[in-house]
Amino acid sequence: MSEQKGPGLLLIGVGTMLTSMTVAGFGLGLFVDYWLDTQPLFMLIFGGLGIVGGIIKVHGLLSKLG
Amino acid sequence: MSGSSSGNETVEYIQHHLTNLCVGDCDPVTHKAVGFWALHIDTVFFSVALGVLMIVVSARLGRNLVTGTPGGFQNFVEMIIDFVSGQVKDTFPGHNPLIAPLALTIFVWVWLMNFMDLIPVDLLPLIASGVLGIEYLKVVPTTDLNTTMAMALTVFALILYYNIKVKGVLGYLKMFVFHPFGKFFIPVNIVMSTIEELAKPLSLGLRLFGNLFAGELVFLLIALIGGTMAVGLGALIWFPLQVVLDLGWLIFHLLVITLQAFIFMVLTIVYLAMAHTEDH
Repeated sequence: MSEQKGPGLLLIGVGTMLTSMTVAGFGLGLFVDYWLDTQPLFMLIFGGLGIVGGIIKVHGLLSKLG
Repeated sequence: MSGSSSGNETVEYIQHHLTNLCVGDCDPVTHKAVGFWALHIDTVFFSVALGVLMIVVSARLGRNLVTGTPGGFQNFVEMIIDFVSGQVKDTFPGHNPLIAPLALTIFVWVWLMNFMDLIPVDLLPLIASGVLGIEYLKVVPTTDLNTTMAMALTVFALILYYNIKVKGVLGYLKMFVFHPFGKFFIPVNIVMSTIEELAKPLSLGLRLFGNLFAGELVFLLIALIGGTMAVGLGALIWFPLQVVLDLGWLIFHLLVITLQAFIFMVLTIVYLAMAHTEDH
């Protein structure tokens, strides 16, 4: 089907995808930290997961194209 | 001494141009929003006015459609519709009658709001302060984070709606639990998928805001060349330089505003297409 073109166009946002995954990870961690009063535990864990997730996602997109 | 006062004026000029007309919970000194109930009237006014302009022009054109050999403007609009419709057909699996009109509305509205950046930076604020006595006026709605994030959150609400409609509540939740590392890393999967979903509106809103805000700042800096540096004979050098730089940045920025409107539209289609597919 036309799904081939979806990831291709999504490449436009690869740069911001990596950064926004990282920011979203840190943001979510910060929120959980404020909620549970555990600064900075979850911010570091979720921030790290955001970076890893961003790299995996970008790698997946680039692999699909290649 | 004079250098320092000129520096202060420069900072004041830039800050003044980057301050919205705020009413409600606003700081009386800095005019920045300090609470939830702060409204940026200029942003609301210009975005609504451009939306109304879009509706009125479309309605008038719709009433006077010509078959056979259409006029220049109808041709132009048909070209934009064909372009957007082609993008939707290429990207979007299946059929949803909402997607193409939504994409077209986003593209034209964002482009019009971005286009306000090409109006000379001092023109509308000067008219507003001279005629209406309005002290602050920021004319480009997309240089206000509230506009871009509001649009991104609206798209995000549609993404959530179609995810739940197509996959069902359980199917959507399953995506959070088992994606991307399978059933042995459920807590990690939940966090990663949540981050991935949150990143969509963040990247949509922040990209548009960042590009347009930076563009406006460059226009302000170019405007300062003629404003603060040109005194007496110096104006003979600085004024032509300002004109050349302004024209160059204007032509380049025309490309930027079109590209940003296109990217916002394309990513909306792509995210909604992802929401419509069974496997994510």
